Amino acid sequence: MAQASKARAPFAPWDRREIAGAFSVEETARRAGHYKWTEMKLFEALGGWIATVPELDVKMRLGTHCYKHAWHAELWHKRLPELREMNPDRLTVPANDAMVRFIDAMTEPEAPEQTIEKLVGVYRVLIPHFISAYTYHMNNTSEITDMPTIRSIKFILQDEFDDWRDGEMLLQSLIDTPEEADRAAAHQARLEKIMVEAGGITGPGSIGFQ
Amino acid sequence: MRKFMPASELARDERFSQITQRDRMADGRSTVVLNNDQNRRSNNRLTPQRGDASEAARALMHGIFVGEIQALEGAGRTCWDFTTGEEAPFALKLDMARQAWDEARHVEISCKLSDWMGAEIGQYAENTVLFEAACSDDPVLRLAGVNRALEGLAIDVFTTMKEFGEIAGDPYLEFCEDWMLADEVTHVKMGSDWLRKVTENDPERRKKALEFQNIVDKMFSYGGSRSESDESSLMIARRFRELAGFTDTEVDYIAEVSMQALNERKAQIAERQAAVASKN
Amino acid sequence: MAITVSPETFDFVSFDAAYIARIAQHVAEQLGVSDIDFAIEIDETSALNRIGTDTSGTPVQITVHSGAFEDKRRPRQQSEVDTTLSIARCMLRARDRVRGGFADAPAEKDLTLPQAAAWDTWIIARLARLDMPVNKQAWQYNWRNRHGFNDRADAAFERMWQAESMDWSQLCAASDAARSISA
Repeated sequence: MAQASKARAPFAPWDRREIAGAFSVEETARRAGHYKWTEMKLFEALGGWIATVPELDVKMRLGTHCYKHAWHAELWHKRLPELREMNPDRLTVPANDAMVRFIDAMTEPEAPEQTIEKLVGVYRVLIPHFISAYTYHMNNTSEITDMPTIRSIKFILQDEFDDWRDGEMLLQSLIDTPEEADRAAAHQARLEKIMVEAGGITGPGSIGFQ
Repeated sequence: MRKFMPASELARDERFSQITQRDRMADGRSTVVLNNDQNRRSNNRLTPQRGDASEAARALMHGIFVGEIQALEGAGRTCWDFTTGEEAPFALKLDMARQAWDEARHVEISCKLSDWMGAEIGQYAENTVLFEAACSDDPVLRLAGVNRALEGLAIDVFTTMKEFGEIAGDPYLEFCEDWMLADEVTHVKMGSDWLRKVTENDPERRKKALEFQNIVDKMFSYGGSRSESDESSLMIARRFRELAGFTDTEVDYIAEVSMQALNERKAQIAERQAAVASKN
Repeated sequence: MAITVSPETFDFVSFDAAYIARIAQHVAEQLGVSDIDFAIEIDETSALNRIGTDTSGTPVQITVHSGAFEDKRRPRQQSEVDTTLSIARCMLRARDRVRGGFADAPAEKDLTLPQAAAWDTWIIARLARLDMPVNKQAWQYNWRNRHGFNDRADAAFERMWQAESMDWSQLCAASDAARSISA
């Protein structure tokens, strides 16, 4: 072993993290607030739908996923004061009106025959948008100054990928006929159009493009 | 999706057959066996020593299974039905989401245990009484009804089942019930803590919530199936209830109400048996 | 053969005494006990799932708590399957006692729980071979509750389930052996 008192570089040769990042403290807080608002809307909807879906396996998955998104909301709630926002509720808002309309449209299906629509909204539209927004944020923020955000996103993304796979597999198992495939596609297109209008979960620039 | 959903609309697949508490109360029969020898009491406690233990345990496991589904649905609805901040604190809703996950696991565990015990999904009727207790439009009343009364009952049920597994030497049942019991104690504690916190400056609301809890406790004691007497199939799990935040006075009250229900039931049965005997 | 059912009418449940008698008649023919007289007595005030057989007199008494004939999905309604199975269990037990090498078996109330479970297993296995709808796992669970939750007790269950013939002493020996492993 080398002498304990020997000087070493603060960054080991394999540590290639950069200080530069695309987001200021304010911008990070703004995005975190939108993430929190959307994760909240998602866990509330998943919770509400549990009683409305007759498929037992879907019912249990929704219960499991409901908590994961609540936990994501909690992570953002705790991160906000660390980003100088002492009143987290102030930034817990939708990115724009289109996001409100998106959530309204996503949570519209209620009847027990509409499990496909419920799952399409979450697993073919919202969660893919979460994955892209979080990935963009993680890859563009400072790996040193904003490491707490990156750490949270890494945990969250793990959940999002797992849940997306669960939801997509449930959908594939539920879509049996060409008519059901059309239903799923039509609902996805309807929601996707509103999401395009919103510009993504944090508004235009959610994944870098304005 | 609208707010507040009636129990009659709970979505189920074709295997399930639902009944309400009203249907249950219309059933004049009993699961309490009377001993005609006045000097001896019947032991109806659900233990392996009962001749019909396997079937009774299986039926109870199915009851647990559907109860867990309704608890999952109730916790989920609390996340949806109340506006965050205005009607229910954010942290309360996080707890309810956590509970939804726990209940989803309990449904999974109950499915596995039912399979192990030889029961099939939908083999028994589903009483929707548990969700009925979760329909209040005041989140505090809902917590009192669901987290304190319903989950309190779950503590009694799981303690009984855990002991059943222990005595029978069934490691699978004992293991699963022990884990579920740990979660239920947490849920009751959540209810106790939120009830105190939310009604801290509103004694009237707290009184109403506790009254509602008492009503639900009475409902769950219907038929005398739970009491401290071994004439009831389920015990009252005092130690775990204490861990969950029930005071001695509260447990004494539940014990008293349950005993009253048992005695009422016994009187009814004796009356009915006499009527049947005179008819024959 | 005479089969009687009491009560003739029901107040607590929607059962049909004539229908029960018809089912009993059919089961008796299937099991080859048409020469035995049976009196089926139902306690309609109890929802428990309990049955009993008493062959000490004539007719053979079959006592049933209403839960044993009930459709568990629709409380208080009669289930054809459950009625058939409960009566078949009682009749087969009666047949075993009357002419099946079980004459030495103690009265129902004196059977130990493992003995009762072993006998039930042997009965249900034979009903399964007659294509009656039985849930083997449920009876395996009952066996395990009485004989232990281990591989060797399971193997003993399987032997009992497959057995072509059995008398009371053989059944007791198999049950005792399974239990001694667990002990």
